[in-house]
Amino acid sequence: MRFLIFFLGILILSACQNEALDESYENISNENEVQENVFLDLNIPSNFPEPTYEIENNKPTQAGFELGKKLFYDGRLSSTGVISCGFCHIQDFAFTHHTHIVSHGVNGALGTRNAPSLQNMIFMEDFNWDGSVSHLDAQPVVPITTEFEMNESVTNVLNKLQNDEEYVEMFNTAFENDTIDTRNMFKAISQFVMMMVSTDSKYDKVMRNEGSSFTEIEMQGKSVFDQKCASCHAGTLFTDQSYRNNGLPIDPQYNDEGRKRVTGEEVDKYKFKVPSLRNIAVTFPYMHDGRLPTLRDVLDYYDTGMVQTQNLDEIFIQEDGSLGISLSETEKDQIIAYLNTLTDDNFLLDDRFSEF
Amino acid sequence: MMKTIKQTSLILMLCIVLNACSSDNTNQEFGDLEINFTNLVGENNLELNTETYAKNGNETYSVSELKYIISNIVLTDTEGNQFVYPQGDSYFLINEAIPQSQNIKLENINANTYTSITIGFGVDQSKYPLNGVDNFVPTAEDQGMLWAWSAGYKFLKFEGIYTSSNVTDKPFLFHIGSHGQNLDNYREITLNFLQPLALSPSKTPEVNINFDVQKIFNADFDLLLSDKDDIQIDPENAPKIVDNITKAFEIVLN
Repeated sequence: MRFLIFFLGILILSACQNEALDESYENISNENEVQENVFLDLNIPSNFPEPTYEIENNKPTQAGFELGKKLFYDGRLSSTGVISCGFCHIQDFAFTHHTHIVSHGVNGALGTRNAPSLQNMIFMEDFNWDGSVSHLDAQPVVPITTEFEMNESVTNVLNKLQNDEEYVEMFNTAFENDTIDTRNMFKAISQFVMMMVSTDSKYDKVMRNEGSSFTEIEMQGKSVFDQKCASCHAGTLFTDQSYRNNGLPIDPQYNDEGRKRVTGEEVDKYKFKVPSLRNIAVTFPYMHDGRLPTLRDVLDYYDTGMVQTQNLDEIFIQEDGSLGISLSETEKDQIIAYLNTLTDDNFLLDDRFSEF
Repeated sequence: MMKTIKQTSLILMLCIVLNACSSDNTNQEFGDLEINFTNLVGENNLELNTETYAKNGNETYSVSELKYIISNIVLTDTEGNQFVYPQGDSYFLINEAIPQSQNIKLENINANTYTSITIGFGVDQSKYPLNGVDNFVPTAEDQGMLWAWSAGYKFLKFEGIYTSSNVTDKPFLFHIGSHGQNLDNYREITLNFLQPLALSPSKTPEVNINFDVQKIFNADFDLLLSDKDDIQIDPENAPKIVDNITKAFEIVLN
């Protein structure tokens, strides 16, 4: 018996020479945790493109999703303890700041832009109105650290989380290395946000032949839209993800240079991301600074409100030199009817995403 | 009872041993490497605030702040094989005001003889924010090396005052990073060791690397502060600065 122990001891020592023993321990515990933590299925339907997000690098799990949701709705991510991500991104309105022209942050501070909707983020190439963030996992840095948003530091947020027993437990369950760090915090938020796919509107059901059909006016609207709007609001996502100047008069209060801030290029001045139009009926007000209250205002603007500013997109310059997209009042009615088919109640009312 | 415990633990030990042995078990040994960065102006140690230096274009300047990010360290051996230091542990913020930040220690490197080292200047945005770059956020944030509005790192933060024929003691400020897909200011710099660097469990070599501040203004490109003293998101000048910086590092001892 003693000999056997001695023999085993030698075996272990030689095995340990390159720390292989530690690795094997790690493997054993990892496998156990993965078994406890259920992977979630994204269910991307046939009429959607391949995600741009590398899901394999951060596969959403039940525990990661729940942690991400808690973080998303936790005001402690802000310096004052009350402004959460969900404060400006309200589910019922496709995660926009309902009726707020520009978004509000800590102590009533006002931002300069309208909070964009959060949906189908895994298909996006970059983020924010000017594309200032090129990876979903990095996005939380901006609202957390921006003075007029959450006005907090990532370091402070991590400290708060590390001192909260519930978070310690949730990070342990969600991540193999049990660590509360920037990477895991951002990954968890991404796991929550990546599940926010809006793919179940009437439009989708018609496109996928799931028994729905457009009414006459919706059909007419689609026809006008495809002819006059779909070159920018293209495809299933209703955006070609490009940056364009759509001829809004420059608001001297903000003098927002748009994409130029990101690239430094004069040719990008006044350009903003073409937004997705999914759930557009509920995401009012419109434009990057929320200046237009209704969809009708938006269509009136494209019809008659556009002005010539630096880098105005050529698509809006007509042969006779006039600016904008000529639309009759009937066509406006038709387009609005069609856009209403992009409202996805299953998404807007999905309990998985709701705060309470 | 005692016997059962013994038997159980024996079986358990056996299992662990077998499991451990099933993984690749070569006799690779590991060692550490120390790298010391020294920021110089020409031949002299950089002195913050107190010294005034002459530069190209008959301008003079003094420096109040110099910080930069070093990343993605790779060692190449005599056969041309590369040892890639784990990327998640590979981000360092060199700050002239914090002496200990200028000495970095790399651990558990394959014991071998190496002929060159490759360092990244800044953060490779193709990997951002994966591979552990995100865990560098708190360090960068604490030292003002993170933009709030763009979720990106400042690779270089270089500030001070300058005097030219037109202005006296005017502030200058270079904040250089990558922006979007079109303005990629990350650079990789390969430096040959002066002599092959032998690294083993018993020998932790030291490498001294000098960074010549002067070269920021004057290497591939000649930059005059009187032309532009505030360079941040600048598709014309920011790439010139990082191109110049690729010439600023030099191994002086190993």
